[in-house]
Amino acid sequence: MNAHKLGRVVGRILLLLAAFSAVFPVFWTLLNAFKNRVDIVTPTPLFFFTPTLDNFAYVLGRESVFAGLINSLIISGASVLIGALLGLPAAYAIARYPNRWSGDIQFFVLSLRFLPPVAIAIPLMVIWLDFGLYDTRLSMIVTYTLLTLATVIWLSVPAFARVPKEVEEAARVDGYGPYAIFFLIALPIALRSLIGAVAFAFVLVWNEFLIALMLTTSDAKTLPIVASELTQLGRDVPWGILNASVVLLSIPPLLFIGVLSGMLNSAFKRKTS
Amino acid sequence: MKQKNSLPAVFLTPAMMILAVLAFVPTVYAIYISLQNRELSRPVGDFVGIANYIDLFSDRRFINAIGVSLTWEAVTVGMTLIVAVGLGILLFECAAPRMRNILALLFLMPVILPRVSAAFVWKFAFHPLYGIATYPYKAITGQPLDLLSNPATALATVALVDVWQWGLFFSVIVLKLLETLPPQPFEAARLDHARTWEIYTHIAIPMLKAPLISLAFVKMIESLRAFDLIYVMTRGGPGITTETLDMYAFSQGFIESGRISYASSMAVLMMIATSIAFTFIWKRVQ
Repeated sequence: MNAHKLGRVVGRILLLLAAFSAVFPVFWTLLNAFKNRVDIVTPTPLFFFTPTLDNFAYVLGRESVFAGLINSLIISGASVLIGALLGLPAAYAIARYPNRWSGDIQFFVLSLRFLPPVAIAIPLMVIWLDFGLYDTRLSMIVTYTLLTLATVIWLSVPAFARVPKEVEEAARVDGYGPYAIFFLIALPIALRSLIGAVAFAFVLVWNEFLIALMLTTSDAKTLPIVASELTQLGRDVPWGILNASVVLLSIPPLLFIGVLSGMLNSAFKRKTS
Repeated sequence: MKQKNSLPAVFLTPAMMILAVLAFVPTVYAIYISLQNRELSRPVGDFVGIANYIDLFSDRRFINAIGVSLTWEAVTVGMTLIVAVGLGILLFECAAPRMRNILALLFLMPVILPRVSAAFVWKFAFHPLYGIATYPYKAITGQPLDLLSNPATALATVALVDVWQWGLFFSVIVLKLLETLPPQPFEAARLDHARTWEIYTHIAIPMLKAPLISLAFVKMIESLRAFDLIYVMTRGGPGITTETLDMYAFSQGFIESGRISYASSMAVLMMIATSIAFTFIWKRVQ
């Protein structure tokens, strides 16, 4: 019995260490974002210091960061919107009207995820150059729609499948047509999981790096590209500014952590019931 | 009973058309460019047949990149699953429900971070002079520790960040999977005085074999997207020790020479290899 207790204590310590490792690096970056350069470049890490807002002021005042932020918001927002508008109905059709191609369609949607991003980015770069659309928001929105649409479909099919069939059946008896059932019954019932799917698609394209790096050079650069350029600055690195821009880049995805964890919970509840 | 219903066609067609166009056009175009000798500075190229592909096989950097990519896949997938199963079991065994929920939320954080952010957070943490992760070593030995510039440790250090993101995330999924298991086999084993680790190795993990294989499959696909981490942390260096296939294709197509046709032939080979491998695994998993 004693050995068992000891095991639990050791297990708890390991869990706390893992939690520490998950949080501390991010927390440390946040602290550094509020430090003056002299407080970062120290032989011993400093926990107590006079905080400064200079780094954030500098980052937010820089035109390139601001432009990257606007580009990221427009490109991610538009591609997620298109992905949701087209993807949610498609997912519903796959979940509720299975036919002999359904399996193939689902495999096709998944297989898009197999493609190495570099294999999509290289030809697309040439295509957009030939069309004269290289380095524009439009070309980025179209390219990201491939990612958002596939992701929304993939994650929404199980969400629609979890809507009780009886409810839809009852609505049909009450005289609802198939479209009314989708908009008035299935969509509201599955809403929570669907928001999770859309949020996931947003996080995916907000964080996307390689395709944006290859398809933009100045006008349509997204925030991850701008942030990575800051991290490649020369010898006299402005560490505080770097940390501040990383914090700025990470805030939008972290806002969705509650939604995504809710989606995870509802995805696994199905199996117990 | 079944009347004619326009909904499936109306709902499916636009999405599938767009996906098909967006997926097939680049794929076909990649093959088309790979048979030419186009360069970024020279928009028109001539057809050279499969010359690019032949060149690839005598390109030592390409062979090296294959090795790095395979090592990367094996290390990150393996370590992620080990960490996920280990921590998942600990969460299930040692944490009370409230604690579980808090930890699950914290464990989700690394994977939601943009990879560029995660890469920078750790690049700075591993900084030989000012890094918080290398500080203990420096304080004890008085020597700086430069893991990212050392050919022997660079790839493992980048892999650590990947496992930090995905291992913690998957441990939450393993926890949810364990929670869905029926309790009876566990209780029966406890009555037979089975040890805790025996319950997991003999009962829980075999029961979760299928979802764990699916997790491994997802991680294999995600591990192909290592570019962001490597680009920010090492740029393929020191030398070419962390140069994966996508990193090499990128540097051939963009940084060094702008040889997009050559880079494209690499992309085509990667596309073929991953499609075959993953289709095969997917059909097996099904």
